[in-house]
Formats: sequence, C-alpha cells, structure tokens
Amino acid sequence: MQYRISFPHMGKYYIPIKKAMEAFVGNYGEVILPPPITKRTIELGALHSPDFVCVPFKYTLGNFIEALENGANVLFQIAGDCRLGFYSEVQEQILQDLDFDFTFHMMELNGKNAKGLYEVFKAMNPELTLPKVVSTLAVVVRIVYAMDGIEKYIRQNIGFEVEKGGFERIEKQFLAEIATAETMPQAGRIFKKYLKKLKTVALNKPAKPLRVGVVGELYVLMEPFSNYFIEKELAKFGIEVERFITASYLIFSTQHNVKKILKQADGYVSYEIGADGTDSVAKSVVMAKKGYDGIIHLKPFGCTPEVNSIPMVNKISEDFEIPVLYFSFDAQTSETGVKTRLEAFYDMLEMKKRGRAL
Amino acid sequence: MKAYLGVDIGSISTKGVIIDGDNRIIANEYLWTEGNPIAAVKGVVESLQKQIAPEVQVMAVGTTGSARKLIGVVLNAQIVKNEITTHAIGTMSRVPDVRTILEIGGQDSKIILLRNGIVTDYAMNTICAAGTGSFLMSQAKRLGLAIEELGEMALQSENPTRIAARCTVFAESDLVHKAQIGHKKEDIVAGICTAVVNNYLNNVGKGKRILAPIVFQGGVSKNVGVVRAFEQILGHEIYVDEFGHLMGCLGAAVLAKNSGVEQLFDFNIQEVDFVTKGRECELCSNNCEIIYIYRNNEVLDAWGNRCERGLSA
Amino acid sequence: MKKVKIGIPKALLYYKYQVMWRSFFEELGLEVVVSPNTNKAILDLGTNSSIDESCTSAKIYMGHVEWLIGKCDYIFVPRIVSYEGGDITCTKFHGIYDIVRATFPAAKFLHYNVDYAEGHTQEKAYSKLGKELGAKPAAVKLAYENALNALKNYEKGLESRQEALVCAESLKVLVVAHPYNIYDKLIGEPIVKALEELNVGVLYADIPDTIDMCKQSKTLSDSMYWRYNKELVGAIGHYKDDIDGIIFMATFPCGPDSLAIELLMRKLKEIPMTTLIVDSNFGEAGIQTRIESFIDIIEAKKKEAAHAV
Repeated sequence: MQYRISFPHMGKYYIPIKKAMEAFVGNYGEVILPPPITKRTIELGALHSPDFVCVPFKYTLGNFIEALENGANVLFQIAGDCRLGFYSEVQEQILQDLDFDFTFHMMELNGKNAKGLYEVFKAMNPELTLPKVVSTLAVVVRIVYAMDGIEKYIRQNIGFEVEKGGFERIEKQFLAEIATAETMPQAGRIFKKYLKKLKTVALNKPAKPLRVGVVGELYVLMEPFSNYFIEKELAKFGIEVERFITASYLIFSTQHNVKKILKQADGYVSYEIGADGTDSVAKSVVMAKKGYDGIIHLKPFGCTPEVNSIPMVNKISEDFEIPVLYFSFDAQTSETGVKTRLEAFYDMLEMKKRGRAL
Repeated sequence: MKAYLGVDIGSISTKGVIIDGDNRIIANEYLWTEGNPIAAVKGVVESLQKQIAPEVQVMAVGTTGSARKLIGVVLNAQIVKNEITTHAIGTMSRVPDVRTILEIGGQDSKIILLRNGIVTDYAMNTICAAGTGSFLMSQAKRLGLAIEELGEMALQSENPTRIAARCTVFAESDLVHKAQIGHKKEDIVAGICTAVVNNYLNNVGKGKRILAPIVFQGGVSKNVGVVRAFEQILGHEIYVDEFGHLMGCLGAAVLAKNSGVEQLFDFNIQEVDFVTKGRECELCSNNCEIIYIYRNNEVLDAWGNRCERGLSA
Repeated sequence: MKKVKIGIPKALLYYKYQVMWRSFFEELGLEVVVSPNTNKAILDLGTNSSIDESCTSAKIYMGHVEWLIGKCDYIFVPRIVSYEGGDITCTKFHGIYDIVRATFPAAKFLHYNVDYAEGHTQEKAYSKLGKELGAKPAAVKLAYENALNALKNYEKGLESRQEALVCAESLKVLVVAHPYNIYDKLIGEPIVKALEELNVGVLYADIPDTIDMCKQSKTLSDSMYWRYNKELVGAIGHYKDDIDGIIFMATFPCGPDSLAIELLMRKLKEIPMTTLIVDSNFGEAGIQTRIESFIDIIEAKKKEAAHAV
C-alpha cells in the first residue's frame, strides 16, 4: 500500500513537517498537503464539528477532510495540554463516520520524541532507521528556527518598507530555498543569506515606532488565516509587531519552561493556569515592563486557558497602563469587525503616543 | 466661511453634519440607509447643502461607519476613519473632559475610555446582541409596546422585575413567564432596561474603570429607562447629548478639518452616477466578494479581495 | 480564643470533597462556613465578576466566593491539577486559584495544591495546609487520615444507595454530568425534579468507584485524560445494561464536555440519549418540556421492544 500522509496546516510550518515526513516514509509513500485554508475549509470543518468546540478543531478538521478528498490515507494530529489533546480521538471518529478510509496518529508536540516518530514511521517504511530520524529532525529543527528568525525580523520591520512587497518577495524565495536544505550548516547558511538580504531592504522606520505584542492561544497566533492576518494588518499601520509564541519557542526552546515563565509572570499568577494561558500572562508582563505601546490577546472563543488568563492580563493592563485589545475567534467572526477594532486600536495608540487627540 | 463635512454611514442610518472652524454644528441630517448607502448619502448631502448659507465653503470631508470606504470614494474624502475613533473625537469636541463614553446602538455596543483628552482603552461587544438595541426592540415587540414607549414606562416602576437576559431567546421565555405570574408591565419594562445595562457592563464594560464624566450615546441613549438604570448601577450622573447620534459624523468632520488637506467640496454629486457591483472571485474557494465602484461607468476603486489575484482577473 | 472561620464555596469541587474538607478543618479546631445553595443572586454575582466566556459552572463558583467575602477569615480555594496515573483536570481547575486572587485582590484565600505529575500528592498538600494553619504535624496527619476515611465512608454510602436503585422496576435514566452541575440547586436540581416527577429512577454517573470507572472508561475512549470525564464515561459502561436512557448535562461552553459528549453520542448508538446544555439564564420551563419528551421516547421504545419479544 502506498501511504499518503497528511496533517493540518499551521502557517508556513508545513514546509519542515512535509520535509520530515517525506524523509521518514521514504519510498513507501508521499505527503499530500491539504489545500491552502480557504472559507471552504472552515465551513466544512464547522459543519462536522460539535457546536461549542474551539475553532482550531474546526479548521484542522476541515484540513483533514480536504486532504482525504485529495487522496490522503494517513493523518497526523498533534497533542496538547488543553482540549487539543482530545482532538484526535474525536476527529478520528467524525472522519470515520463520514466514511473516509484512513489511519490516524496523534503526536506529542515535543522536541524529544524521535523514538515515537521512529516507531510510527517504521511501520510504514521498513528501511527507516532511528539515526535517520534523529538526523532528519536535527535539520528540520534548524529549518524551523531559521523560519522563525526570518519571520521575527519581518514582523518587526515590514510595516516600514519604503517600497511595499520587498519583504514578501524575499520571504517567498527564502521559503523555497530553505525547504531544500539537507544539512544543518546548509540551513544556517540560507538563514544568514536571507537575513542579510532582508536587512538591505530600505526602511523608513522612526527611532521609536509603535510597538505591539501579540499573545494568546498558539493556533490562532500561528495560523494567520484564523486570525484574519492580524499581524499583516498591524504592519500596515506602521507598527512593529512582537510575538513570542512560535514553533521553535514552544517545541524546542529552553525558555519555554514553567519556572522561567512563572518568574516572568511576576506574581500575576502563582501557578500554571493551563496551556499557553500562563505564557500570555508572563509575556504581557514582559512587554508591559519593556514599554510596549499595546498588547493584542488572541484566542478561540471559549478557550479555557486563555479565558483564565484574562483577569490577570486585565490587571497588568491597569497596573502598567498598557491597553489590551482582546479577540475571540470563531468560525463566524466578522472580518470587518476585526479590521475596525484594529484600526481604532492603532488610532488610540497613536493618540497616546502623541499625547493628544488626532 | 470655511466649513467641514462629516458623514457616518451605518447599516441602519446615515448621518451627516457640517461644522465651522470652531467645531460648531451648522447643519445636520439623519436618514435611513435602507440598504442603499449611496442614495442615502446623496440625500443627506443635499439636505445639508440646503441648510447652509451660500458663502459657506466645505473644504474637507471625513467619512465613518460601516460603509466609510465606499462613501469615502464617492465624496472624495480626505479622512476615512473607523467609528470608534470618530465617536471619541466627536464627543470630545462637545464634552472636552469626558472620561467614559458608553454607546449602545442597534447591533453594536462599545465603551471608550479617555484620559486627558486621549483614548486610552475601548471595547466592543463580542458575543451577541444581548446588550444592544435590537434586544430592546425584540422585547418591546413581545410586550406589544412601541420602542419609544419603553423609557417613560420604565420610569414609573418602583420595583423592577429581574429578567434573565443574556440571550434574546432565553429572555423572551422568561419575560412571558414573568408576565404570566403577574408582574406589572412597568416593572417588567424597567427590568428589561436594567438587563440591557447589566449585559452591557458584563460584556463590553468588563474590567473597565468607568469614571465620570460619563457620556451615553447611540440609539438606546434615547431611552430614559436605560439612562436611569445606568445612573443607578454606576452611581454617577449620565450625560446624554441631544446630538448624541451625530458624534460619529461630527468626529469625522473634526478629523477632516484637522487633516490640514483642503479642497473645495463639490456638492454637485446628485447627477453623478455611482454604481457598485459585487463579484465573487472564483480563483480559489475563498470566493472573496469583490466590490467595484464605478463613477459614470469608470472604475473608481475596488476592494474585498484577500489576495492580489482577484483584482487583476 | 475565637475560632478561625474557613469559608467554603458551594460549587465545583465542593461536591466531591466537602466531606473531607469539613472533617479536616473541624478536627483541627476551625469553624467551617459554607455558602448557601446557588440562587439567582449568587449566579448574578458570579456573572458580574467573571469573564463572559467562562463556563457557567465557574461563574457560579465566583458567585459563591464573592458571597463569602466578609463572612469568614479565609476562603478556601483548592487547586487540583493531576492525579496518580497521569489523569488531569480541566484547565479551569488549574487556573481558578489565580483567577479568584486576581478578581478579589482584597480577600484572603487559603488553598492547597494537588499535582501528582509535579510530585504534589494529596497527602503532602494537606500536610502543607495544616502547617499553614498552625497545627502540629501529628495532629495534621491524623486529621488527614480521618478526613480521608470520612470521605470514603460517605462515598460508599452513596454507592450502595445507588446500587439498590439499579434493581428498581421503574424506568431508569443515567445522568452524565459533573457533580457540580447536577447537584447544584439552581441548574441541576430542576432536571432531577423533572425526572422524579415522571417517576423515573435517576442514577448519577459520578457515584460508582472513581478508580474502577476510570479503568472502565477505556472501552469507550482510550485517549481521554480528564479524570472528571473519565469517571463519568466509565459509569456509562458500568450501567449500560441497567438503564433506559442517558441524559448528558453540561454547562456552556465547557471544554472537556464539548468533545466528550460528541464522542459518546457518536459511539453509543443503541441507548436513547439527549443533551441539556445549561447557560447562565436557562428557563426551567424549557428543561421540563425536553425531559418529558425524552421520557416519552424512551417509553415508546420500550413498548416497541416488549412487543417485538
């Protein structure tokens, strides 16, 4: 049997995931990417999802359906601490009830799971060896770091391009090239080359631009379609955007550590409050202390860990006089509503900065 | 004399003002949008022109509200601004020391906090229409009352009924139940007003420090029952401006004035033929709804696409 | 000397652990004050002090906490995160202690932290709590053991009473709901009352032995990790052959229940089932109607089955 592997989208991370899975499955299969997320994806996902489940469930279910329609027969979903850990069993059941034929795997989201991956893929590819998994992962991790590094620079500067479109063009080239990296040093070289290229793009950046930090739940932070491309919209106003939650941070970084996070939270929480909620509090404190102009808090509607974080983030907002804009995303969130609120948020920050009305 | 035009085009109503150099309103108009923003704006502009003296020259235009972009193109506006900002600016031009703006409209409600003349925080309703005017409207209908009657009737109540009211559907069954078990009509009406305020404060006003002076605006601010409920719950006097409904267009006019860009406005838009056409892009299954606007058959502008491909197609 | 007064909110984990808490505190010479049954005023308090998107159960909890402010020296808000064997609780329970602290900064709280995954066992948690209260270690140990026994005996009593009901002739419905929902005076009792008025025997899914039920849950769901859902799922397997129907009851928008109920509805096809989702302003009339029609369906099915035989 030919294995046709698929997994849900999350931003551009399909590039390293596809690369890893292609290496793992070898000659015994291929990777079928779900089509890019569109309105149809979320409509399909929502149609077959329980009513008040959080929206990443609906998007990823939509991805699965569209991938299965394109012939996928092995699906991967990640695990997590909140409801996410239980997505798999329910999604598998829903897809079975839709009469699709497939096998379903749930993978732990952590950097040390080479053995688990090896076992799953060995069943598909008898030639696979553990060292092959380890060496592939090493390259892929480097690619993820490179992508996050490039994206970080872009987030901070894209709002100030003299000529629009330069960054996007370079990013496209970068993504195409980084996908071809076969060794860690090669990935490193590509990263450096493109960072250098990005730095040659002419900027018109004031000494003290408006700076906004984005915190919240990981999926809506990292899948731009689900947050209505909020970072792009912010950049259009000439805002420097900061976000700490990236795949490299969540999966590999030593900074993603309970003790460190609680320390950053500086008493606003004394314990973990679930999934990324603790980090939303911690990073809000960090950015408030660094004098950021505003914070945007994103979550799927009803996301318990992030709802947990709001009383604390509210308190931080009050104590540090830093405005916070909250968004709750669902399958039916109005795009105009999001844009209007963002625009008003920008106006407010601008007024605050100038110390007078527009 | 130099003057400035502001237009606020919402889904329900279209409002316009002309102000002088000191932000004084010298002309104002209010019309139903009735699904045709361009016709509504033509109507508003025509009426405004009739109200001003011939020597008044409109030197800049600002638009706001949900159709601000479209009307911005039609009126060749210097300023196209979201309604949150324009409401703040407009209100400040009337009550310079305002620190809290409460607003409840038909579908939307919002709160804006200001300190020393700048917006420091705001929020809009996120979940449903429970804390908005449409809730009041449906409840009035249920009780067989006109929306205008609710306010005065609520004032007669000494013992407002407790209405469970986060959701319109639930509230209706509760309302019917309360009426059946013999609550007085005015008490129920007062209860509805209190419920609107509680819903608003729970959803939109959650975690916000509401400091006086407080201005209340939007369609629901005309309801004295809701005003009294706010005063009782917040323990502050609530200021309702007779021009409360015009704050958006007033703000847009002030911003147009402050933009420093001036160009004599040509009132002669009545004869110009503006047409909008919506087209569903079929290049991917996003099916973006792209809106084209034509002036005398010539494309003026287009938007609504998520990517660049749609426009060129 | 005046006794120290501990306030216990009558919501969430109260329904699981109140016997143990009360025994522990009273044995250490403290006075316990419990907030009253949930009423609309308490729900109002909770709604006002909660984030709008919180689940109704958590809003009710906040209302009870606020009710206790000024009526005791400390309000007891325990934090239970994980159990032996790796099962965890809903993240609401992870955050609730910090949420009440942030929401009521002026109030004084007392807590313990049970998180087996991090080495914080229940016994350690109680011993730390006892120390904080100024009691001697030996006294704390004894109080803990007695409290644990009191809870076990109480649970056994409930279990044997329910087992007796299983043999009853009447129509029997299993209510699959968190104890803090179904035993709540405001949101749960109307459901039970409606069933009892129709002479339906009500079995509660949380009553059979937790550890057994968690094991049994594997037959219906092998990846479930929420302890408070697993025990309910296990009870479905346990009672499957004794019941005529299942009522799932949850509060809006409960995270674990949103998925657990979906999975169970898809897996259990042979038992009549219905779901009641309770919002902070549900109408009793609506609940009655839905329960009546559900029971009508069960009865019709039963007759049909009897006919077939």
